[in-house]
Amino acid sequence: MLLVLSEEHKEHLSFLPRVDSAVVGEFGRIALEFLRRGSSPKIYEGAARKLCVPVETVQRGVEGLMYLMTESSKHMISKVDFLDSVLVLGFGEELNQILLQLYLQHHSEIRSILSQLPSNLPGYHNLEWRLDVQLASRAIRQQVVPVLTMRLLLTGGGDGTGELSRRVLQTDPGTLLHLISTLEGALAAIKTNHARRIFRNIK
Amino acid sequence: MELSESVQRGLQSLADPSSFDRRSYQVLVDVSFRSLLSSQADPSVLDQPELKQIDQILLKQSHTAATTFILEAVKQNADKSTISSCLEELSFSADRIEIFYSTHQEHRKEVERLLASIGRCPPHIHDASWCLQYHVKNDQVDKINEPFYLISLNTEKERSSDDINFTCTVEQLQIPDVKLLVESSVLQCPGRHNKRQSE
Repeated sequence: MLLVLSEEHKEHLSFLPRVDSAVVGEFGRIALEFLRRGSSPKIYEGAARKLCVPVETVQRGVEGLMYLMTESSKHMISKVDFLDSVLVLGFGEELNQILLQLYLQHHSEIRSILSQLPSNLPGYHNLEWRLDVQLASRAIRQQVVPVLTMRLLLTGGGDGTGELSRRVLQTDPGTLLHLISTLEGALAAIKTNHARRIFRNIK
Repeated sequence: MELSESVQRGLQSLADPSSFDRRSYQVLVDVSFRSLLSSQADPSVLDQPELKQIDQILLKQSHTAATTFILEAVKQNADKSTISSCLEELSFSADRIEIFYSTHQEHRKEVERLLASIGRCPPHIHDASWCLQYHVKNDQVDKINEPFYLISLNTEKERSSDDINFTCTVEQLQIPDVKLLVESSVLQCPGRHNKRQSE
């Protein structure tokens, strides 16, 4: 699969052949840091001063490089397709190889960072639980009621941050056994021929 | 059992054959239990033909006293001798005590359930639903190709229900210890509510 680069993207990347390979490597490193930790304007300013170019040029070059890496990693494109995609930029062979190495070395890491981006669904993180026996309440005394109290921790707090949301829930042992057998049915579903056929054929 | 003065007075009227004859006494006892257990307050609960002859204010005071006494007896899990001695002190005849106690025995479990359902507690899980999906891709990453589960826990809190939805992986769903732990805990925990609570 070939990447289709927009004119704007090509323009941002056109800065790269004007600097030497060490600088391209440095830009690659900055681009990855950007993915891991977010960008820092000071870094762009420092580089712009050293290269005597406007800050925007450096920023766009780095962001263009980052976008090239994320798109390639997202689609898991092959070596050949990557080289064919950057061919259209008209760079020299050496620069193409530097970009390819950058991609090959970091695509797994980039994919895992992209997967951690907040999804639109809350995800299971952990379940803490305790078993208690309720003996009395304001309304009734002399009870013997087993109660299972749980704290369900979910990721994807809904506000887009990595914050965990916490829900305190209760159930009784009878319902819990029912829940467990229901979820065992869920686990059995993945072992069916139907599921296996889908896993084999959608790649 | 501690009873307030107005409850004691109301009960004493109920014990008095000149205020309530045997038939109307039985009807009032039945009506008192029924008014506690019906899901909606019925303003016409005291409109029984057997109760028409009785002074309406006295009737209401006795009804209030009877329902308070019933709730207190169930709340404290009072046994037969406690109920009997309490009513004896308020001048109930043996016959009337017997009528009250047998009606109490008939409805006791339901009143207990009613009282047990009052109070604040975290949302109670009643059921769970699941579906198995195959994650193909999303807007950030292509070619994911992994199965995952969408779980929905159906909870209820004070008559309103809520669903908690979340995803989990196949590994996360496999919690082998929990079932053994719960089964062994359930065996150690005798009790009158040790079964799946009905709605």
